Amino acid sequence: MSRILTMARAGREALDWEMERRDEIFVLGEDVYNFGGIFGTADGFGAKYGPERVINTPISETGFIGMAAGAAMAGMHPVIDLAYIDFIGVCYNVLLNTASKTHYMSAGQVKVPMTLMIGTGGGYNNAAQHSQCLHATVAHIPGVKVVYPSNAYDAKGMMHSALRDPNFVIYLTHKGTAGVGWMGTPLKTTLSEVPEEPYTVPFGKIAITREGSDVTLIGLGMSVHECLKAADELARDGISAQVVDLRSLAPLDRDGLFAAVKKTGRMVVTDEDYLSYGVSGEVIASVVERDPTVLRSAPVRICTPDIPIPFARSMEQAILPLAARIADAARKMVK
Amino acid sequence: MTEVRVPLDLWAEDDKTGSIVVWLYPDGATVKEGALIAEILVEKTTLELYAPASGTLKINVEPEVVIDKGQLVATIM
Amino acid sequence: MPLTPELRREMYRQMVRSRAFDDAMIALYWVGKTPIFAFANGPLPGELHCSNGAEPVGAGVCAALDADDMITADHRPHHVAIARGVDLNAMTAELLGKKTGLSQGKGGHMHIYDTRVNFASSGIIAEGMGPAAGMALARRLQKRPGVALTFLGDGAANQGAFHEVLNLVGVMKLPFIAVVQDNEWGVSTSKKESTAVARNSDRASAYGLAGEYVDSNDPDDIYLAAERALALARSGGGGTILELRTARLAGHFMGDQQAYIPEQMKQTDPNPVYRAKLIREGVLSEAEAAAIDAAAKAEIAEAVRLAQEAPYPDPSEAYDHVFAETVA
Repeated sequence: MSRILTMARAGREALDWEMERRDEIFVLGEDVYNFGGIFGTADGFGAKYGPERVINTPISETGFIGMAAGAAMAGMHPVIDLAYIDFIGVCYNVLLNTASKTHYMSAGQVKVPMTLMIGTGGGYNNAAQHSQCLHATVAHIPGVKVVYPSNAYDAKGMMHSALRDPNFVIYLTHKGTAGVGWMGTPLKTTLSEVPEEPYTVPFGKIAITREGSDVTLIGLGMSVHECLKAADELARDGISAQVVDLRSLAPLDRDGLFAAVKKTGRMVVTDEDYLSYGVSGEVIASVVERDPTVLRSAPVRICTPDIPIPFARSMEQAILPLAARIADAARKMVK
Repeated sequence: MTEVRVPLDLWAEDDKTGSIVVWLYPDGATVKEGALIAEILVEKTTLELYAPASGTLKINVEPEVVIDKGQLVATIM
Repeated sequence: MPLTPELRREMYRQMVRSRAFDDAMIALYWVGKTPIFAFANGPLPGELHCSNGAEPVGAGVCAALDADDMITADHRPHHVAIARGVDLNAMTAELLGKKTGLSQGKGGHMHIYDTRVNFASSGIIAEGMGPAAGMALARRLQKRPGVALTFLGDGAANQGAFHEVLNLVGVMKLPFIAVVQDNEWGVSTSKKESTAVARNSDRASAYGLAGEYVDSNDPDDIYLAAERALALARSGGGGTILELRTARLAGHFMGDQQAYIPEQMKQTDPNPVYRAKLIREGVLSEAEAAAIDAAAKAEIAEAVRLAQEAPYPDPSEAYDHVFAETVA
């Protein structure tokens, strides 16, 4: 049996491998040099690569992410650490109008190869401004690839893919899945056996994380792990649940989703992002607009409701899409 | 048989304790000398534990259990 | 390079080309838009922000540049693009939304890209700040020469991006120049109403940068100031806010009657002023000036003819270029 890695280590291994071999890759962001990023995305890189390639920035996201886009246009491949997705408000123009649209607006004259690593999600009592997922807010923008590994194997393969992609890629990691020290001991289902050698995981392909025949539980990031817990619970009740990990929001694997849902005829879509105008609605639409008759019952969404994330544990735990809510929904559907 | 102990210099303060965050090889796996085998958390800092020898890893201490410097956490056969 | 007669004639030529271009675009713009004005009507649809009055900025700064230098411009890019040597026929076709345009009809007049001459522009105010600084950083990391310049209006100097990026440029000592074109108006709001200091170049001290203000809208003065800023950047001395007093004779965009501008603030057209200066100083004869004027008009007329004859992109092409091809 080969070694097991956390997601943080796996992603970092891919970044390190590419950075050792390609001078155009450099890291920038707040606290990347001394801290290796708040969530350890570049842990140890400062000492290894020096301040020229691991660039500490002021707290100035509009400035340095705009700068990264320009460096990408001029032939570099910047890798940016934006610790919390809650901070996209202070750099959204770069995402919305610069990095995502320059290739199109220049008819392919200008490429913007850059990788933006962002932490998402709550569940650890960090309140309304440090717990959001907001992945739909970035996946909505044309011209951006948005990927969301939920285990260490995919974290490494998707990081290699992102760094070899000539486009703007947003690489999301739910903070609770990363396996970094200050989030406690990592979830077992995020750990994987990870080969030492480099490999890529292609974007736009769902993964069937667990086979099952009665109901399909669809998740992304942390909610994949809640789906897996729910599937364990359902198995004890004699219900066989299939678990799907979206892995990539843009491009979205609509064919794979349709086939997975068709297999069971039932779907529970889970998402830690807000319920309305989000990924859950998009997933359901992808299936029913192709053929609504594959469904034996109405689809159900288990998401964070349209309220700011509350601080107190009693309230936060009640609104997150956790395994018990998912299992309840599936049980009702199968009954 | 080689004992795997938490190195005495892994962190400075004697009064602090830590805990294993994750074993990076499962019980019974073959490890090589020098391989990173576990992460240890002391307050908010993640520290690394390396295999002192090659062989088969036998884990004695599971994650989330309080450990001290110098404590025996595994053996390598 | 000193301010030679050849250089001054060339700057005049670029000013005249730019004016001929804008005048031709304005004429085309009104085709189909009277008596009912609608942005979408006519062969040149959308918004159009012309550079009339700002020609000395493009001509003066670009005359001082090397091929390695890089530019990001804003929603009013024509004068800079033309002086930089952007492909004029392809740019004209782009304004008309033609397949032969620089961006094959995907950009329009605010989004002018020509990588041959390191030129890019964009339509969000102060958006070019970050990318220009990043281009300067890229060249440093690549150990290649090149100064990055961003052209923006005085109205852009109150955007967060302006200040964040100037701070980064100061911290990193990047070879960078912010060319602030002070035409006194941000759409219909005056500089006095919107900006706490009289001169944005005075803000340089807040970021450890050099600041220079040129109040003449004369390409000779602009050229010399650009040379100073470029020399500082090339020698590793860091960035400059180069603020240039200029004019906005054709309003914020077409259709803007500029009724909000009081009589005493009416702006002067710099092109006849420079033309007369060069003739007075013996750099140009009247005949030579007339020949330059005529050649520019003929060049633009030909560009317009080619653009009008060119096909529109096929509707299906809307789906191309969303992403660059990923090589497996």
